[in-house]
Amino acid sequence: MKLGTYLIWAAVAVAAGIIVLLGYFTNLDVFIGLRLVLLRWATLLAAAGLGIGLVNLASVHLAKVSDQEPGWPYSGVLIVFLTFTLALGLFFGPDSPWTLFVFNFIHLPLESSLMALLAIALVVAGVRLVGRRRDVLSLAFLLTAILILLGTGPWPVASDSGLHTAITDLRAWVAQVWAAGGARGILLGVAIGAVVTGLRVLMAADRPYGS
Amino acid sequence: MIDLRGLVILGIFITSLLAYTGYRRRRTIAFRKMRGFEELGRAIERAVEAGERVHLSLGTGSVIGSDSGPALAGLAVLSRMATATSMSDKPSVITAGDGAMMVLAQDRLRTGYQQVGESTRFQLTAGRMLGPTPFSYVAGLPAILGTGDVTVHVMIGSFGAEAALAADFGERNGVFVLAGTDDVQAQSLLYATATHPLIGEEVFAGGAYLNAGPLHQASLSTQDLVRFLIVAAILLGTLLRTFGVSL
Repeated sequence: MKLGTYLIWAAVAVAAGIIVLLGYFTNLDVFIGLRLVLLRWATLLAAAGLGIGLVNLASVHLAKVSDQEPGWPYSGVLIVFLTFTLALGLFFGPDSPWTLFVFNFIHLPLESSLMALLAIALVVAGVRLVGRRRDVLSLAFLLTAILILLGTGPWPVASDSGLHTAITDLRAWVAQVWAAGGARGILLGVAIGAVVTGLRVLMAADRPYGS
Repeated sequence: MIDLRGLVILGIFITSLLAYTGYRRRRTIAFRKMRGFEELGRAIERAVEAGERVHLSLGTGSVIGSDSGPALAGLAVLSRMATATSMSDKPSVITAGDGAMMVLAQDRLRTGYQQVGESTRFQLTAGRMLGPTPFSYVAGLPAILGTGDVTVHVMIGSFGAEAALAADFGERNGVFVLAGTDDVQAQSLLYATATHPLIGEEVFAGGAYLNAGPLHQASLSTQDLVRFLIVAAILLGTLLRTFGVSL
């Protein structure tokens, strides 16, 4: 019984993957049409997944509130605002001024403040890196970061000096030759890894949909 | 009209995968040591023995987007992690920024528990969606990492700049942090913030290093082979252009 169920899931996943792949590699209308239909279904399922995720989010935090676990007031705030935002979107629509107000004046500033926090976290992490990993690579990483910072913007004093020009030129050389070359190499590795991972799913060796 | 070049490249990948899988069944392939994954195995063992929790983050990418690759690699790690932690007093927690990815994580976790005959220990809330946007996802992490019972924080998925904050939350709590993503800029941030950063394609190597199966190990050999072919092609192209031969 279980073996049969697993075979059906695997067959559906492999067949859908092969059809979508053939839609990319061939110009045949039948495959292109099927690929578009499957991608639309996938988009719909992903939207349903978001709904399930929101139910999961609410249930986890409701349980925290009812069990009075540490930090439960934050969970309470989350549930109140989740309900409020959902109600706004459902009653007034996602493009209404009320919904946009929430996104533009509450959601976006909150996310921006986290972005600002990121800058501070990176400075602290840079200092911590010196103590944690004392090797040549970490030293090169830190020196490069300092060089890029010095060469990116104007200085409070001596911005028109020869030293500033030299550092700006050095920054451009490091960024355009060394960093760009290294980044391309990393991207090639990531792309190859992603293809192989996708092929494992297509060959039903990896079954993220369960066994 | 058929894209022959694309099909040939795909053929090289598939042939190499199958050939290396067959070879792997007969002989052992040695891989270079990766401290992060070696330490991960030990950290999980320690967490299980001490009754502590393991957290796996699958990132903020979606299932249907081009950013699903690293999260699928994370799910392969989850398979091994689920069986390894099934006997722990505190079950592993898996988080994602995408609802569909969360469903897949729950399914993988359930399968892992079933494989070791511990399906009754599976809890649906062990797989969670923290927030649908990158920073809302990160904002939910302290609630999990700050409880004091999480001692292993693994991040294998698609992350942007928010990865630095996610890793930093773990470091501040003094837990074991292993983190990798497909985004180059985020990788540089993780190099500074995580104790064990995964650079480049290392994010896809988790399954092979945690013995998820022969095809995972064949995948690494395939990646090496294809990379070698690409480097050879780049060098050949450079030489030909240098000598004035246009292709």
